[in-house]
Amino acid sequence: MKFAYYPGCVAQESGKELDLATRWVCRALGIELVEFPSFSCCGSGFVDEANEVLNVAINARNLAIAERAGLNLLTICSTCQGMLTLANHRMADPKVRARVDGALKPLGIEYRGTVRVTHLLRVLVEEVGLPAIRAKVRRPLAGLKVGAFYGCHLLRPTDEMGGEGGGDGEEPHSFEDLLAAIGADPVYYRGRVMCCGFPIQFVKEATANRIAGHQIQDAKSHGADAMATPCPLCHITLDAYQNKAEKAVGARLDMPVFHLPQLVGLALGATPEELGLPRHLVPTEPALARVRPSGA
Amino acid sequence: MADTTISATFDVYRFDPAVDRSARYQRYTLDLAPHTPVLTALLRIRAEVDPTLSLRYSCRSAICGSCAMQVNSKSRLACETQIGPEIARHGRIVVEPMHNQPVLRDLVVDQTPFWREYERVEPHLKLDPARPMPADRPTSMTPEQVERFKETPRCIACAACYSSCPAVEADPEFPGPMALAKLYRYVVDPRDTATRERLVGIQAGGLWLCLRCHLCTDACPKDVRPSERIRDLKELAIAAQGATEPGSRHAVGFKESIRGAGLLNEMQLVRRTYGPLGLFGQLGQGLRIWRKKPEVVRRPHRIEKVEEIEKIYAALDTGSEAPK
Ligand code: SF4
Ligand code: SF4
Ligand code: FES
Repeated sequence: MKFAYYPGCVAQESGKELDLATRWVCRALGIELVEFPSFSCCGSGFVDEANEVLNVAINARNLAIAERAGLNLLTICSTCQGMLTLANHRMADPKVRARVDGALKPLGIEYRGTVRVTHLLRVLVEEVGLPAIRAKVRRPLAGLKVGAFYGCHLLRPTDEMGGEGGGDGEEPHSFEDLLAAIGADPVYYRGRVMCCGFPIQFVKEATANRIAGHQIQDAKSHGADAMATPCPLCHITLDAYQNKAEKAVGARLDMPVFHLPQLVGLALGATPEELGLPRHLVPTEPALARVRPSGA
Repeated sequence: MADTTISATFDVYRFDPAVDRSARYQRYTLDLAPHTPVLTALLRIRAEVDPTLSLRYSCRSAICGSCAMQVNSKSRLACETQIGPEIARHGRIVVEPMHNQPVLRDLVVDQTPFWREYERVEPHLKLDPARPMPADRPTSMTPEQVERFKETPRCIACAACYSSCPAVEADPEFPGPMALAKLYRYVVDPRDTATRERLVGIQAGGLWLCLRCHLCTDACPKDVRPSERIRDLKELAIAAQGATEPGSRHAVGFKESIRGAGLLNEMQLVRRTYGPLGLFGQLGQGLRIWRKKPEVVRRPHRIEKVEEIEKIYAALDTGSEAPK
C-alpha cells in the first residue's frame, strides 16, 4: 500500500505531532508514504472564498504531482481532504477546466483527473481493514470513552465527498468503528458531525469559541473522557483554544483531544512521546489513566 | 398488499405552552406500509389516535415547504420521508420540531426569525426607474446569464437549512443559508440594478459568519446548495468592494500568505487579519501555544518549485481585494 503523502501545512508546523503519529502508524501497518516537497497548501477553504478558480488551480497542481508519480493521494486533514476532492469535482466543469489548464499548461503541468484523494481514516477502515488493525492491537484502549469529531470537510457536501453509506442519509460511523476496533468505547453525540467553529475564529472569535465549547460540552455530557479528530484545524480549535471555549461557555471542560492516528498509535504500542502527546495544550494523561490495563 | 406492513414506533415531541411546563415525547405504534410518508403517519395518528397533535402541512407533495421537521435528528420534509428506511436504520422514528425557531406547539414552530432574515435581503428585483422594463414584450436573458442562477430558484422556503445551521444557532447576526441563497439569486440577476449595494450591505451584514460547514446543503430537499452560493457571494463581495471585514481580510490574507512560500505562514496571517494592534491582543494566547508548539512563530520552509505558484497566481488572480 503506497500513497503520495499530503501532510498539509499545520502538520508540518504547529501540529507536528499529527505528522509524527501518522508516520508511526503507517510504518506499523505497512503503508508506504511517498513525500513530495513541491506540494503546496490546499488553501484551507479561505483561498476558495477569495478566488474559486485559483483554489482549484493550486490543488490541480498538487494532484498533478501525484498523478505524474502514478500514486493516489493520502491526506491527514479533513479540510485538505475537502479542498483536494473539491478540485477533482470542479475540474469536471469544462469552463473551470479551461481556465485552470490555461494557467497550468504553460508551466508544463497537466492534470488528467485520475488521482483518488483519500483520508487516513478511510485508508485505515476501508483499505487496511479493521480486522487487520484489531490483530495488531497490543494495548486495547479498554474503558476509554471517546467522542469522535469528524470535521465538516471530510463529510460534506455529502454528494461530493463520497459520503459514507453512499450519501443516502446514513450517518457516518467509520471513525466510531475504528475506535471500537482499537478497544475504545465510541460515544455518539450530535456534535460529532458538526462544525468546530474554526472558519470564523478570525471573523468573530466569541461566536467561534462558543461553537467549539458547545461541541465539547455535548461530547462531555454524553460521557466522553476524550475526543478524537481526523482534522488538525479542529484540533487547534478544540485543544489549543479550549481555554477560550471554556470562557465562552462559562464552564470548565478539561477535555483531552487526540489526533486520530495518536489513538491508533497508542493501541498499537507507541509511547506518548513518539506520538507527540506532550505537545497538547490540554494534558492527555487523565484520559490515558482511564485505559484499563490489559487482562483486567 | 396488506401483509407487507411493518410495525412502526413513533416518538413524537409534544409541547403545549398553555398546559405543559416542559416538553415530553409521546409514543405511538402503528402498522403501516414501509413506503408511507412520515406526514401521512402523523395525520393518521391525529385522525385516529390523538386529535390534539399539532403540525403544519399543505401540499403533501414536497412543493409547499410547510412540513419540514426533525426526523431522527435530521431536518426533512415529512411528506417525502418514507418510514421504511428510517425504521430500518434507527428502529423507530423520532419526530421533533425544527431547530433555531421557538416552538409554538408540538411540531409547529414560530418562523418569524426565518422570514425576517428573508425580508432583510430584499428578495425582489430593484429596477432603475429611468430604465423601466419594457411593457409590451418580455425581457430576454442569454443562456450564460440564466446559468448563473444555478440552483437557487428551486428553493421552496421550507427552512430545513435554517434549522440545521450552526451559525444561525450561535449568532443572531447571521442571516441564514436560505436568505443568502435568495440574495445571491438577485445579485446575479442581470435585470437588478442594486448589485453593488446588495454586496456592500451583506459584506458587513453577517456574510462572513458562515462556517462553510455545508450542513445546509446536505439538509436542503431541493438541492439549492446554499453553502456554495454563499461562497460565490463572498468572492463577488470582495470583487465589488474589496476586503473590508475581518472575514474577507482573512480570506484575502490567507491567499496572499501562501503566495511566497507555497505554505501557510501562520504568524503573517494573524498580523494581516488583526493588524499590529489586534496581534497584540492575541499575544497571550500565542504565548500559551508557543510554549508547547514553538513552530507557530517559525516561517514555513519554501516548497520546491514555488515559482509555479507565483505564475498560477499571475494567471488567475488579477486582484481586486484592496478596499475600493
Ligand atoms: S455552510 Fe454556512 S449557511 Fe450553511 S449551515 Fe453551515 S454555517 Fe450555515
Ligand atoms: S434552501 Fe433548501 S432547505 Fe433552505 S429553505 Fe430553500 S428549499 Fe428549504
Ligand atoms: S406538505 Fe408541502 S412540502 Fe411537505
